[in-house]
Order: sequence, then structure tokens, then C-alpha cells
Amino acid sequence: MKNKTLIRVKKMLKPHIKAILIISFLALLVSIGEIVKPYLIKIVIDEYLSKKIYTNGIITVGMIGAIYIGIVLLGNAIDLIARMATSIIGEDVIYELRNKLFRYTQYANIPFHDKTSAGKLFVRITNDVEDISTLFKEVVSTIIKDIILIIGIIVIMLIFSVKLSLLTFLVIPFVILFTGVMTILLNKIYDKSKIIRTNLNTFLAESIYGSKVIKIFNIQKEKRIECEGYTRDFRNTRFQEGIIQALLPAIMTILENIAVTIIVLVCTYKVYGITLEVGLAYVFITYIKQLFEPITRIVENIEVVEEAVVSINKVYDILDEKENLENLENGIELNKIEGKIEFRNVWFSYDNENWVLEDVSFVVEPGESIALVGKTGSGKTTITNLINRFYEIQKGEILIDGINIKDINIRSLRSHIGIILQDPFIFAESIKDNIKLNKNILDEDIYSAIELASANEFIYSLPNGIDEISNERGNSYSAGQKQLLAFARIFAHNPDIFVLDEATANIDTYTEGLIQKSIDRLSKEKTAIFIAHRLSTIVNVDKIIVLSNGRIVEEGNHTELLGKGGYYAKLYNSYYESLG
Amino acid sequence: MIKLLGTRKQKKGKTHKMKKTLMDILKKCKWLFVIIIVFVIANMYFLTFPARIIGDIIDLLYDIESNKTEIVNNLVYLILVSIALLFIRLPWRSVSSFTSRTFEMLLKNKIFDQFLKIKMSNIQNIKNGELMSYFTQDVSEMRAFFYKVISYGTRIVATMIIVTYTMMKGVNAKLTLATLCPIVVTAFLVVKIKKYVEQNFKKSQKYFTALSEYVQESTDAIRTTKAYSGENAKLKEFIRKNKVLRSSNIAVEMHSTLLSICIKICFGLCYGISLIYGSKLVLENSITVGEFTAFQGYIGLFVGPVEWLPSLISRGKRAALAYKRLDKVFKLEKEKILPISDNKEAMISGNIVIKNLTYNYPANIEVALKSINLEIKQGQKLGIIGTIGSGKTTLANLLLRLYQVKNNTIFIGDRDINDIEITNLRKSICYITQDNFLFSTTLRDNISLFKEGYKDSDISESTKNALIYDDISQMKDGINTVIGERGVDLSGGQKQRIVISRAFLLRSNIVIFDDTFSALDNKTEEQVLKNVNEICKDKTCIIISNRISDIKDADNIIVLDDGQIVEEGKHQALLDYNGLYKKFYDKQSSKDEINV
Repeated sequence: MKNKTLIRVKKMLKPHIKAILIISFLALLVSIGEIVKPYLIKIVIDEYLSKKIYTNGIITVGMIGAIYIGIVLLGNAIDLIARMATSIIGEDVIYELRNKLFRYTQYANIPFHDKTSAGKLFVRITNDVEDISTLFKEVVSTIIKDIILIIGIIVIMLIFSVKLSLLTFLVIPFVILFTGVMTILLNKIYDKSKIIRTNLNTFLAESIYGSKVIKIFNIQKEKRIECEGYTRDFRNTRFQEGIIQALLPAIMTILENIAVTIIVLVCTYKVYGITLEVGLAYVFITYIKQLFEPITRIVENIEVVEEAVVSINKVYDILDEKENLENLENGIELNKIEGKIEFRNVWFSYDNENWVLEDVSFVVEPGESIALVGKTGSGKTTITNLINRFYEIQKGEILIDGINIKDINIRSLRSHIGIILQDPFIFAESIKDNIKLNKNILDEDIYSAIELASANEFIYSLPNGIDEISNERGNSYSAGQKQLLAFARIFAHNPDIFVLDEATANIDTYTEGLIQKSIDRLSKEKTAIFIAHRLSTIVNVDKIIVLSNGRIVEEGNHTELLGKGGYYAKLYNSYYESLG
Repeated sequence: MIKLLGTRKQKKGKTHKMKKTLMDILKKCKWLFVIIIVFVIANMYFLTFPARIIGDIIDLLYDIESNKTEIVNNLVYLILVSIALLFIRLPWRSVSSFTSRTFEMLLKNKIFDQFLKIKMSNIQNIKNGELMSYFTQDVSEMRAFFYKVISYGTRIVATMIIVTYTMMKGVNAKLTLATLCPIVVTAFLVVKIKKYVEQNFKKSQKYFTALSEYVQESTDAIRTTKAYSGENAKLKEFIRKNKVLRSSNIAVEMHSTLLSICIKICFGLCYGISLIYGSKLVLENSITVGEFTAFQGYIGLFVGPVEWLPSLISRGKRAALAYKRLDKVFKLEKEKILPISDNKEAMISGNIVIKNLTYNYPANIEVALKSINLEIKQGQKLGIIGTIGSGKTTLANLLLRLYQVKNNTIFIGDRDINDIEITNLRKSICYITQDNFLFSTTLRDNISLFKEGYKDSDISESTKNALIYDDISQMKDGINTVIGERGVDLSGGQKQRIVISRAFLLRSNIVIFDDTFSALDNKTEEQVLKNVNEICKDKTCIIISNRISDIKDADNIIVLDDGQIVEEGKHQALLDYNGLYKKFYDKQSSKDEINV
């Protein structure tokens, strides 16, 4: 498991490996500077101040001070470059990852989207990638330097005095222990308060949404008391954070001073015969303090790494699953088609267990229009999903103009089929872009499509007409208006086969009339398949296919089927009875 | 948005203005502030000790043999001081955290209280998301600033005074002034850079939101995209948005890196200056080596304040914006509601008279209702039918005084509606709204609406009447089942029947059903209507519906169109009239919808 993550991280970083090596080298330089700085002070104390001389050989105190400032400037300049480079790499990795994920969602087939909720994909592309980005911002940007610094300080301390260093290092396990425990405690509080915050916000959102009900039923007082309960809970969990945040630095100060005490005591009593110059004692104290910061940072960041690892795995679990991707490039390109559709003994199941279609066969001749009729769950909508290869069938063949659709290039296939869903999707773009849908279509063709779809009246009454930007999901338009827009799309794209899943939603009589006009126009010219809910549609088609439990039970036109007195007739009559 | 609301300033004294609210809250926290300040000073004072003690020890180390006891004493002192610091920090941080969270709690409660009182006409014009952001974003901004001030602001000031004093007094004044020069310069620089960070960060957030929205839309629209082979175009647009986000993120990082490097260079220079100038002073015997090292330690205490200063300023700016936004909420007009306990008025009778009522919503040009004249006697049943937007719900809203009408237009129980106390009015009317709104709580609370004093048998009786009893009995926790976001999901029909149960439980003289039967199947609807008729025998009952079957046996039916009563009468009379009502009837009886 761990191994897999490692491979994934390697894959992510591979393009940047050279830059990372350079950054590591720069970090090494910066760390050397950090280590040299206290040492310069040691030299000043031991070689100059203790001896009360200003110049030692040719080197003056002022010169050492100048070197010190030089190291500060140079070190920070290098650090600046290294850190900027790190953040660029981080952003690049994130950028690539987002693109890859989005590409995946676009090319993945419909069964994948059925399995994976839109919300989940959204979280992968946004939150999970953000977690990985935090890894770069917080951890990767500091960890190289921190590790080099820790090693460097330990090495230099050991060089000065092995015994004293080892004694001083005794406090380090405690540093790690306390930081670790506090970080865990703090996260526990965060987790708890997250739940309480969600409860509070849910309550608030609900009260806002239901403000009318609150007023109508006079429950202001009850709601106010409830609100006070939620806010109190929230305060009571959140304020505990302060305690933990206070503890950690205070404990670190104690540990630091214990280390100082060890150093001074050892020097004072010459334990193990250790003696130190005053300056060296000072530099030891400084180093031990310098050692604390990177260690605490690394321990605190373990959590970030853990979260990022989870996110990396989630993201790559999706990306590595290549069989969900549709092959959009291969296959026969269709130019002009006649529009003949044939189902030959088609068997289909969404889950490979329950057959939704069983041995379905029918032919729609070019220019013919048919209606699929049947109860909910009879398989009529499924048929439309198979023609444009949203799903692959298990057995049998679907042919268009005699060519098996499996052999046809998916893009080419879909460009010849126009589908209108019950609730057409409207993008938060202009009406014009909603009709074009990323294709290059001439303006005049768009205008004539609007005309043909009888959508002109509705569109031109909008304040900005064809350039009106629609709300999220087209919320500002009624179901009928959305359908009209969808018809305009079809007319503009001009496919040879037309599939309509009729809306069951309430559409006012006037708009319904406009829609009917479009339907008539389209079915006259093209091969048309209707998932019918309206009698008017059913009566007018060339052929009705009646489905029940995934099988075709009857086939024929309206009069034929009524005359037969079978399933369709029963369906039809019971409907009329229900009207009373 | 709120500017349009026609905010009328209310009489002084009575209203909770934002400033007064804030003052009240701060007054409540008064003693907490005093405690915090005492702790801050104590903390800062003790924080200077370790550096000084170590300095003393350094001096003593020059002659270890004769100073042994003193060194040990100093070490004990050092450990004691660090333990003392622990015991100062712990209560101090707890109190300041507690204070800021209390501030947040009180402010949220006040705003919620305010929200409950605002007039419907004012709430309506603010988007739900915006109202929500007052609670989440704006209050948090205020709290964050408040916290920064009490915990960092105080420390910045304390550091400036105490540490500078210690340095000057304990070591050397000239050295102090020379060393602190870079800090002053940097403080300005840092504030400046921080401004860029903030600006870029805001941009970055905006781009991130744009990208998120795009992702959400694209995943939802995947079938449409595929049907029109738009995958590549979608991807191209995504990459473009992603690229913008990347460069703006990089800009943020560049500036924040620059910021921290600036601070590091600043302190590097401070140490450098103190090294050069300090050594000179040691050589001149003005200060000791120990004081020289202690001085280096004091400089470190300034790092925090320099880092906090810019974020304190930017937080302050954001809090000022939040304050302005919240202030607007407090200026919105409120309903005059007496506390329920003060209200001893009797239930109002169910006679309703509407005289020449014309109404348009505030800030709306279109007239919602035009010259409505209507009379309903207690015990009668009125049916209202009409197209969407014809004014049906508006009429109901006005009867509850959710919106203000002119005097002498609506009379309920023979009194002008504007003379009836709002709580009492609403207690007398049970209005079942069309949106099936339920709270995320138990079914019991949703039916009784949080009011105590209903017997279990009353509640089960009301659920039986609304034909939801059997559904509830099948749930594991029965009437105590929690629904909504944190509980069980109900179907539309179930929700509707829960809402209808309220009408059977709450005692009121007037009952209004606003399109509340639409999600019920024919059989259930018929039964529920029968029960409604039973309970409403002595009550005034108004049924708003689009289905003829719901209202056909009413004592009086009005047909609304474009805010006007166009037809009025009993079912048969209206059919004979052969107008709009007849049209509705024809359409419904020959609905060519084959719902198979």
C-alpha cells in the first residue's frame, strides 16, 4: 500500500526531479549559512571579547560583523530563489493534476459517471488537490531545508563535543513526544468543532430558508433558544484550542531551558572532564534552540502529509483506472447517413446482473418516426442511451445504416444523433453559447435554428436577447423554455437522427403548442424516436413499440394496436378510465 | 442589494443598532479584558527573563570555580521562570480564546434575534446565501479581528514597551536604538507587501471559485457534453481557467515568500548590527559579554510582533467591511411583536372581510393584487384558483400580515388587521404553505412546531387525519424520528402530509391550505380533503389549489388572474359561466398526459 503511494508520488514529481535537486543544493547552502552564523558569534566572544582585543591577526570584529551581514543577505537571497522555485513546482504539479483529473472526467464513460457522483468528482478536483497543494506549500517547501539543518546542527555539535552533544540530545525525544501529542489533541478538537459548526450552520441556513414558517407559526422564541444552544456548544469546543496552543510553546521553553541547564551544569562541574570556552557554551545553547524549530515543524506537519497521502491515493485511484475512458479517436468516420436504425437481439444490463433489455429487436427505416411506450422501468429510456453508446450492450448488435455502432467513431456517431432529455441541461453561459455548445456555427444558422424551434419569442424577450447569460443550470427558465432551447440546439446542429424524451413536467399550454410544432418539423425530416408521454405524439408516429419489463410486447401503429386489444389497448383504456 | 430595500431609519433608543450591540457585547466582556491585559503584561515581563539569566550565566562562566553556587542558583531560577511562564500562558490563552469565542457567540445570537424580527418584505429581497454569509463570514471576520486585537495587538504593544525598556535599561540605550532601526523600516515594508498578498489572495480565491463552479457544472452536464462531443472544448476551457488560477496562486506565494524573507533579512541585520556595535561596547567595557548575549536574545522577542502587525492591519480592514455589512442588517425594518406572555388577547374569530385591496410588493412596480373585494364568514370554505403569479399566495401572505397593507382594507374578526397584534393574528390562522418546509428535527417538533403541551394522542390523531400515521409507525423511532440533513429523508408526498398534520393539531379559527395537496395521489387526496372538511366545519377554511377537485365543493370559489378576481361563485355556476374556470376544468378532465 505504502509502496503504491510512493510510486504515485514519484510519478507526480518525476518531471521536476532536476529542479528539486537544485533546490536541495540551495537549501544546503542556506543551512550552512544558518549554522555558520552562531559560530561567528562564538569566534567574536572567544577570540575577541574574552581576550579584549579588537583585531586578531588581520581580521577585526567589524569584519566578522560584515561577514555575518553578508551571510544574512546572501543566505536569504538564495532562500528566496529556492522557495519561489519550490512554489512554482508545487503549483505546476497541482495544475497538471487538476488538468489530468478533469480530462479524465470528460473522457470517462457514462457508467463511470453513474457510479461516481458529481459531488465526489468535484471534491477530487478541488479539495483533494488542494490538500496535495498544502503538502507542497507547508511541507515540501520547508522539509528539505529543515532536514539538512537538523543534520547539520547535530553534526557540528558532535564535532565540538561528542559527549556534551549526546547529553543535550536527551531532550529531543521529549520535543517530538510533546509536539506529537499536542498536534493530535488539537486535531481532535478541530474534528469535534467541525461537526458542531456544521450543526450550527445547518440550523442557520434552515432558519433562513424557513423564515416564513417561523413567522407564520410564531416560533421566534423557540428558534432563538435553539440558536443560543448551538452557539454555546460551538464556543465551548473552540475555546479549548487556546489551551493547547498555549501549552505547546510553554513546554518547548521549559525543554529548551532544561537543555541549557544540562549544558551549563556539565561545563560547571566538568562532568566527563568536559570543559568549554564561554563562547562555545553560548553557541551550544544557540544551536540547541535552533534545533527545536525544525523538529517541531516536521512533527506538526505529519498530519498534513497523512492527509495529502490519502488525497493522492484517492486522486490516483481514479486516474489509474484506464478502462473507464472512452476511445474517442478510433473507428469509422461517418459522413452522411441515411438514418436507418436496427436493434438485433439486444441484451443489456446496467449492473451485469439484472437485464433491463432482453432480446430486443426492431428496425426504424430512414425518415420514420417511432414511439416507445411502457411503464416506468420498462426500458424505454435505456434504448436512447444505447444508440449513442452511452452504455455498451452485452449481447446482440445495434446498427446504424447497417454498420455496427461499435465500429463507428464515437464522436462521429454522436454528431449524427440529437437527443433532448426530459430536463435539458442549460449551462451558465449565453443563450448563443448554449445553442452552439462549443461548435463553430454561423450566427445566421443560430438565428434560423431559434426560428425553427419557435424559441424566438422567448429568447428575444430576454433583456439581452441571444447574449443573455443564463443562471446556474438555467434556473431562471421554465421547463418548457429549456426544452425550446434544447430544440434550438438540435436545429442548429442538424443531426440525422432525433431522439426526444418528452417532459412530464407541467408545461403551459402555449409552450406545449410551440414544442409540438418543433416535434412535427423534426419528425417530418428525420428518423425520430420518442419516449412518449403525450397521446398526441403517440397517435402521430409511424410505429409504436410497447415495452414491458425489458421486452417488446407489441409493435404497430395506434389503430392497429387498439384493434389488437392487447397490452397497449389495456394501457390506453385504463388511462381514459382514470380520467373519469 | 440592501441599498434597494428602502431602509427607513427607526426611532432612536428602541432599535438595536450595530454600534450599540457591539458595545453591549464588549461591556459584557469587560472583566475578561482586564484579566487578559494583566496576563499579557506578566507574560511579556517574564519572557525577558531567560535571555537575561543566560546572559548572567555566561558572565559567571568566565570564573566557574568561584561562581559555582551562583551558576546553579541561576539555573534553578531559569527553570522556575520557564515553569512560571507555563502557568501564565495557560490561563491567559484560555481566557483570550474564551473571550473571543464568547464575543462570537453573543454577536451571532444578536444577529439571529435581529433576523427573526425583520419584516418579510425586507428578508425577501436578500438572497439566502447572503443572509447566511452574515452569520458565517462577517461574524467570523469580526471575531478574528477581535481575537487578533486582544491576543496579538496587546502583545505587540507590550513587547514594544517592556522589551525595549529592558534592552535600554538592562543593556544599553544607544545599542538598542541602533539595533531596532531595521525593525521600524521593515514594519512599513511588511505592511506594504502584505497588502499585495491580500489582493492576490482575493483574486486567487475568485479564480478558484470560478474553477470549482466550472467543474461542478461540467460534471453535472456530462451527458449533454458527450451527446454533442464537447469534451475537448470543455477541457480547453478548463485548462485556460486552471492556468489563470495557477499564475495567481504563484503570485500569492511569491509575495508571501518575499514577506517572510524580508522579515528574516530584517532580523539578520539587527543581529549583525548588535554584533558589531555590541562587541565594540564590550571592548569599551560599557557592557559585559553576558549582556551582549542577552541582548541577542531580546531581539528574538521582536520577531513575533513584526510578523503579526500586517495581519492585524489587514484583519482590521476586513472587519470594518464586515461591520458595515452587519450594520445594514440592524437597520432593516422590524415587525412589532409583543412577547407571547404579554399577550392576553383572545383568539380572533374567523370572519374575513377584504375591501378594495390593491397591493404591490415593496420595490416592485407590478401590482400583485388589484381591487380585491371578498367576504368569508366563520365556518365557510373558500376556494382560490388561478395561474402561476396570479396573486393567490400574495393574498394568503397579506392575511398573515407578512406584508403590510393599508388601513381599512383587510378586516379579520371584524377588526382592522393593522390593529391586531401580530402574534395573536398568526396564532389565529393556520397557514399551510406550499413549499413543504420542514426543520431538521423530530417529526413531533415539526408537527407541533416546538410548542409544548400537546398530548401524544393529539399528535397521533392529527397524523392519522393527514394519512401519515402509518408511514410514521413504520419508522424506527416513530414520531421522534429525526428528519432532514441529519436524519431520514422523506418523499415529497410524505413531507406534504407532515405539513398538513399541523392543520389538524394547531387550534385556530382560520385554516389556509396553499397548494398543499399537489404531491398526493388521487385516493389519498380525497381522504385528506374529507378529513379537512370534518375539522373545518366550524372554521374558516381557504383552499388555494390548481386542481378543480380540491375546491369544487367550496361555499365560494374565486378565480384569480393577473391579481384580479375575474370570476366568483359556486362550482356549477362557474362552469355554466363558461370562462377561465371552465377552461381549467376542461384541461384537467382531458389532460392528454398518459402517465404510464
